[in-house]
Amino acid sequence: MDLTAPLPTKKLLRAAGLVARLLILVWVLKAIAPAPPIVRLGPPQTVHTEQPAICVHTRLTDEVEEWKIQRTLSMVREMGAPTIVEFFPWPYVEGERGEFDWSHPDRIIRHAENQGLDVIARLGLVPHWARPPVHEKVTTFTYLTDEHFEAFADFVRAFAARYRGRVDTIIIWNEPNLSIEWGDRQVDPEAYTWLLRFAYAAAHEGNPDVTVLGGALAPTTEAEDSLYGMSDIRYLERMYEAGAAEAFDALAVHTYGFTLPPQDEPDPDVINFRRVELLRAVMERYGDGDKSIVITESGWNDDPRWTRAVRPGQRIAYTLDAFDMVAAWPWAEQLCIWIFRQPLDLHNRRDAYYALVSSDFYARPIYEAIQAYARGWENPYAP
Amino acid sequence: MTSSLFDTVSRALRWLRRHPRIALVGLNVAALLIAYDVVTRPGAWFGPQDITWRRSQINGDLYVGIDPSYPPFAEWTPDGIIGLEADIAREIARRIDTTAHIQIMGFDGLYSALYTGSVDLVIAGLKVDPAQTSWVHYTQPYFDAGQVLVSPSGAPIDSMRQLDGKTVAVEVASAGDMAAQRWSRRLGALTIERFMLPDEAMRAVQNGAAAAALVDTVSARLYIEEHPDLRMAGETTVPDGYVIALRKKNFRLAEEIDRALADMIDDGTLNAIIERWL
Repeated sequence: MDLTAPLPTKKLLRAAGLVARLLILVWVLKAIAPAPPIVRLGPPQTVHTEQPAICVHTRLTDEVEEWKIQRTLSMVREMGAPTIVEFFPWPYVEGERGEFDWSHPDRIIRHAENQGLDVIARLGLVPHWARPPVHEKVTTFTYLTDEHFEAFADFVRAFAARYRGRVDTIIIWNEPNLSIEWGDRQVDPEAYTWLLRFAYAAAHEGNPDVTVLGGALAPTTEAEDSLYGMSDIRYLERMYEAGAAEAFDALAVHTYGFTLPPQDEPDPDVINFRRVELLRAVMERYGDGDKSIVITESGWNDDPRWTRAVRPGQRIAYTLDAFDMVAAWPWAEQLCIWIFRQPLDLHNRRDAYYALVSSDFYARPIYEAIQAYARGWENPYAP
Repeated sequence: MTSSLFDTVSRALRWLRRHPRIALVGLNVAALLIAYDVVTRPGAWFGPQDITWRRSQINGDLYVGIDPSYPPFAEWTPDGIIGLEADIAREIARRIDTTAHIQIMGFDGLYSALYTGSVDLVIAGLKVDPAQTSWVHYTQPYFDAGQVLVSPSGAPIDSMRQLDGKTVAVEVASAGDMAAQRWSRRLGALTIERFMLPDEAMRAVQNGAAAAALVDTVSARLYIEEHPDLRMAGETTVPDGYVIALRKKNFRLAEEIDRALADMIDDGTLNAIIERWL
């Protein structure tokens, strides 16, 4: 091959033309492709409220798009709620043992901070590696046995340490008095207390200023030997008998009103809003009255075709009354409403009728009513 | 435009006359594609089959998912499942030569039961859910639970336009309240009176405090049953249809149920069932 021979100009030009056309094609394709939305934090915001006890349970765990996280949290702030409860599942962060992916919690907490919101972190669920292999036993995401309590505690420690000073309240597990939340097994207050002890110690190692919330018990009247769960009152008694008093700083409580107004008298056989007072009585009976209660789930549902729901106007009135009642209880800190918004509107699920905001960010009347209450404005939905 | 299209077609035909072998191959390919499409269509020899429909016809059964927590639509009694939806399901089953086997389940589990094949259809006050239409076939509504105008029989109101300059009573924060707010911007003068419950709104109409009430159809029907001095408008102002859900792959069953429901609407059976319960 003669390397000194001149290059064929025509071929060169043709090749250059082809490359230029390819470059133009790439540029055009890039230009027509939708650009990912750029989410900027913006200046730090402050929550303006006259009712610091207002809190909402958000559901950003399953929210993929960052702008929706930001929009959700900005609407929470605009509503006048200074606190959110958010779920941070263990398997999402530590999918493989010892390998932590904090990107999603980081994103949520960054935006919450930017909106001036305090975060109560709910920790739970179990990664595959902390459950038996499926060929040995088919288990659910809530199945955790005592040999992996320390592994869960390690996650709690890592979480508490990472977000020290930014997230200072942690809920350990969710509704352990329901078998569906306890690995589809018979519930076990003593085992949960054991788990709580591990988690409590680990959380305080990670962040000495952390407040650990125990319990988060579901309101239920199930008998002690039921396969479905156990009465929250009896469960809490057994937790205390197992030594739980030293394993939490405050009690998380779930209390729902269903069809009853918030003023309805507490009764162990009835699920109503003031059931929380029965749990409070248990705390006092076991000498734990110095600790406070955080109501991390509550609310009324306005599904038009559910016998356990109320009408939309009643829902507003009951919710606002409940906020007043919590503000008057010296032992109660927050009332967190389930749920602010779902990532997807589930038209045919009850949860859709608990939401304050639709998945496309339409503020329902209950949102406006809570906002007016928080800001000291006139209730736009007063009958 | 037409002449240029004509020229193009003429040129193409001339080209094909000059190349008969290519034309023949093209025709054969087209015929094969059409034949393939015909024989692989749902229900055709080589197409997907609706085995649920076949099973229902061989065994004479139709499995229906119902949430019995919403009387008078569906209720669990010692005598079995009764209610408007149970009656519609039984009538549909009868019309396709089967017997309805009603499976009771929680509202939140209805779609899962349909997906896994535990039931053939679900009738439980479902609304069309755009997120499910990739696999769910929805029938036309069997009941409109939307917001309807209720007015005195002696001074009927059938549309929101008739309320200009008048007062409408609504249930606070309901879909009727939202609709009335929209209409107050369209009309010259519409006064909205809010009440905590739909019955209170309708009572205001009886008392003469409002010209009409805009409330949900179920409340309206139940109230008017006991207060015949009131009547409902013929159509809802804010529709909210309840539909039956089936698996899309059960195309034959869906077709038959669509037909049965349409027949029930045409011959008045559906209305008779609704009147029986509401």
